[in-house]
Amino acid sequence: MAIEVSHKQTVHVRPVEKFDFFQDERVRSVFFQLLTALAVGGVAWFLISNTAQNLEKRGLSFGLGFLDVVAPFDPDFKLVSFTVGVDTYSRIFLIGILNTLYVSFLAIIGTTFFGFFLGIMRLSSNWLISRVALAYVEIVRNVPLLLQIIFWYSVIYAVLPRLKQSLDLSVGAELAFLNIRGLYVPWPVAHDMLWFSFVALAIAIVAAYFFRRWAQQRQDATGQKLPIFLPTAAIIILIPGMVFLSTGSPMTWDVPRLEGFNFVGGASLPRSFIALLFALIIYHAAYLAESVRAGVLSVSKGQSEAALGIGLRPNKVLSLVVIPQAMPAIVPPMISLWMNVVKNSSLATAIGFADLVAVYMQTSLNTAGHAVEIVGMTMAFYMTISLTISGLLNIYNKRVQLVER
Amino acid sequence: MAYVKTKDTPSRTPPLNESSVLGWLKINLFDTLYSSVLTVLVLIAVFFAVKALWVWGISDGVWIANSRRECFKISIDGACWAGIFAWFDSIFYGRYPRTDLWRIDLGGILLIVWMAPLWLPRVQGKILIGLSTVALYPFLAGYLFTGGDKGIFMQIMLSAAIVCFFATTANAIIGFLGGGNLIAFILRKTGKNKAPEKQQRNMLLTILAIGFIAVFLWQRGWSLEGVTWTRWGGLFLTFVIAGIGIASALPGGILLALGRRSKLPVVRVLCTSFIELFRSVPLITVLFMATTMFPLFMPEGFVLNKLVQVIIAVCLFNACYMAETVRAGLQAIPRGQYEGAHTIGLGYWGTIGLIIMPQALKHMIPNIVGSFIGLLKDTTLVSIIGLFDVLNILRTISRDSPWLGLHQETLVFGAMLFFIICFAMSKYSRHLEVKLSTTHKN
Repeated sequence: MAIEVSHKQTVHVRPVEKFDFFQDERVRSVFFQLLTALAVGGVAWFLISNTAQNLEKRGLSFGLGFLDVVAPFDPDFKLVSFTVGVDTYSRIFLIGILNTLYVSFLAIIGTTFFGFFLGIMRLSSNWLISRVALAYVEIVRNVPLLLQIIFWYSVIYAVLPRLKQSLDLSVGAELAFLNIRGLYVPWPVAHDMLWFSFVALAIAIVAAYFFRRWAQQRQDATGQKLPIFLPTAAIIILIPGMVFLSTGSPMTWDVPRLEGFNFVGGASLPRSFIALLFALIIYHAAYLAESVRAGVLSVSKGQSEAALGIGLRPNKVLSLVVIPQAMPAIVPPMISLWMNVVKNSSLATAIGFADLVAVYMQTSLNTAGHAVEIVGMTMAFYMTISLTISGLLNIYNKRVQLVER
Repeated sequence: MAYVKTKDTPSRTPPLNESSVLGWLKINLFDTLYSSVLTVLVLIAVFFAVKALWVWGISDGVWIANSRRECFKISIDGACWAGIFAWFDSIFYGRYPRTDLWRIDLGGILLIVWMAPLWLPRVQGKILIGLSTVALYPFLAGYLFTGGDKGIFMQIMLSAAIVCFFATTANAIIGFLGGGNLIAFILRKTGKNKAPEKQQRNMLLTILAIGFIAVFLWQRGWSLEGVTWTRWGGLFLTFVIAGIGIASALPGGILLALGRRSKLPVVRVLCTSFIELFRSVPLITVLFMATTMFPLFMPEGFVLNKLVQVIIAVCLFNACYMAETVRAGLQAIPRGQYEGAHTIGLGYWGTIGLIIMPQALKHMIPNIVGSFIGLLKDTTLVSIIGLFDVLNILRTISRDSPWLGLHQETLVFGAMLFFIICFAMSKYSRHLEVKLSTTHKN
C-alpha cells in the first residue's frame, strides 16, 4: 500500500484581522494624543483666559509699550551709559543682559582654569594633595551656593579696608585700588588711530595661523620639527606693537583717583560683583574638578602605559595621549556647567548686584508692573543662552564622533 | 669536596613597601623631590589654615554672652557663637509659637517612626509602608503644623492617617519580632486562619472599620490652635519645602521622562518642551514667576498663599530635572529587557513598572540622591522671595539689635548644618549603591 504523500503546498492563511475599535493600536494612539492635547489645551485656555480677565479687571494692558517708558532708577553697575530721567526700560533690559553676560563670562573663564587645576590636584599621586582637593570639593559641593555668595559678600566687607585706607594694588604707584566699595583699575581710552593696531592684530593672528599650518605640513613631510611657540608669539606681539608705536601710541590710561568721597575715573567693579564672581568660581570649579577627574580616569591605563613604553616623557604622555582622549568625556559636562554658571549668576539679586534678574525682573517689575511681559522676556533670554550653548555642545559632539571613526 | 654553608645567611630587611608606615609615606608623600616640596608646602598651608580656624572658632570663640558688644569685650577677634545660641530655636523652628514647638517635634518623630520599618529586617510589606507614608503622612503632618478647623475631608484623611500609622507600626513590630505580617498575626490570634477566605476578609474589614470609626469619633473632640504659614520658618520650613519637593519630584519626573520617550508624538513634544523650558531657566526666575504670575493665572477670588506658590514652583522645577535623571537611567537599559518583557506578554505599564523602572532606578540612585541634595540646597532660594527659611533666619540675626552685624558666624553655622545633612545623604547613597548592586565584582 502506497503511502499517500500530499504534494499540496502549505497554504499560508492570513489571520483574519478583526478590527476591534477599542483594542486597535492606531485608534488608541490617536485617542490618547487627542486626550492629552485637549487636557493641556484646556489648562492653557483656563490660565490665559483668567490672566486676560484679571488684567482687564485691574485696568492693566498687555504689550511691550512699557519698554519706551522712562525708568525712574539708576542701576549701580552698568557697562553702557545710563541717564536717569532720559533712558527707558529697554535700556535697563540691555544693561541687565550685559551685566549677566559679563559676570558669567569672567566666572566661566575662572571656573575652567581653577576647575582643571583642582581636577589635576585630585588625580595627584601625592596623597596629601589629592586629599586636600577632595576635602575642598566635598565642602564646597555640600553647601548651598546662595549661602556661599552671601558669605563671601560679608567676608569681603569685613576684610577690605575703608575708603580712606584704600589698598593700593600697584604698590605705591597709585594706579589700582581696593577698598570696601570695590575694585578700581585704570581703563584704556582709545583715540582715533587705534583701529590700525586692531587691524594689524587681526592680520598677525591670521599670519600666525598660516605659519603653524605650514610648520605642521613641513613636519609631516620631512619629520623636521620647527620651533612654533616663539615665532607665533613674536608675530602676534611685534606686528601690532610696531603699528601701535608708528601711529603714535593712540591710547591713554584713565587712572582712578580719590576725589571727595569716592574714586572717579578708570573702571570699577563693585563689592557685590567681586563676591559673586569669587563665589561662582569657587563653587563651580569643584564640580568641574570632578568631571575632569572622571574624564581622565575614563582613559584606560593601558594607553598611558603604552605611551610610556614607546619612550614618551610623562608630560608628553599627558598632553599627547591622555588629555586628547579624556576631552570628549570632559567637554560635555563642562559645557553644561557653563550653562549652570550663567543660570546661577542670577543669585546676584540676593546681594544686590544689578544682573538681569535683579534689575529687570525685580526692580523694573516693581516700578513698571507688566509681570507677564517681564517674566517672559527674562525667561526668553535665559532660554536663548541655553539653546545657544546646547547647540555648541551638539556641534562639538558631532565633531568628536567624526574624529573617532 | 663540597662547600656547604653551616650558618644561615642573615635574611635581608624587607623592602620599604606599603606594609610599613615609612614606606607608605615614601610612596604617597615623598616620592620625588618635587612631590616632597609640594607636600611640605601644603602641610604648612593646611596647618596655618586649621590653626587660624581653631583660634577664631574655638580658642578665641565666645560661647556665652548677651550681645555682640559683650562678645567683643571678651575677645575682639574670636567668633561670637553666643548669637547662635540666642537664636537657636528660631534657626530650627522660625517664628512658630514657642508653646507649640512640640507639634513640629511630634511631626518629625511620627515621620521617623512611620518610615523606620523600611530599614528594619524581616518586616513585610515595605512597599505598602512607603506608599502609605507618601500618601497619608502629609495630611497628618499638615494638620499638626497648621491646626485650626478641620473640614470633613481633613477629618477623614486625618483618621485614615492615624489608623494607617498604628497599623504599619504594629505590622513592623510583629514583623521585626519574627511574627510575619499584621494580617497573618490577627488571623492566627483569633483562630480564623483556617476559616474561608470570605470570612477572613469580612473580619479584617470589620476591625479596620471599627478602628477607623473609633479614631474618627476621638478626633472630633480634639483640635489644635491654628498657626498661619507666615509663622513657619527656619530649618523646619526648609524641610517642609524640600520634603514636598522630593516626594513629588520622583513621580513627576518618572511621568515626564516616560512622556519624553513616548511613541505618541503629541505627548512627546509636550513633555520635551515642558522639561526643556524649566531646565533652561534659573530657579529664581521660576520663583518670581510663581509669585508674580500665579495670582494672575487664578480665577477671581481664588488666592494661593505665597508658600503654596513657592512649593508648586519648586515641584515643577525639580520634576523636570528629575525627568532628565530618570531618562538617563532608562537609556542605560538594554533593548533586550523590553523585548523580553514583551515575549512574556506584559503590556506597556507592566513592562515599565515591573521590568524597566526597578532596574533604571537602581542604576540611578546616586544621581537621584544627587538631585535631592541639589533640591535641598536650592530651597535656600526662597529666602530671596521673602520666606523665612533657615538662610533668611540666619540673615535676620545680623539685623537683630543685640547681634547687629553678626554675619560670618551665622553663615558658618548654616554651612555646617547643610554640610552635615547633604554629606550624610551622599554617603548613604553610595552605601545604598553598593548594597543594591547586583553586578558581579571581580
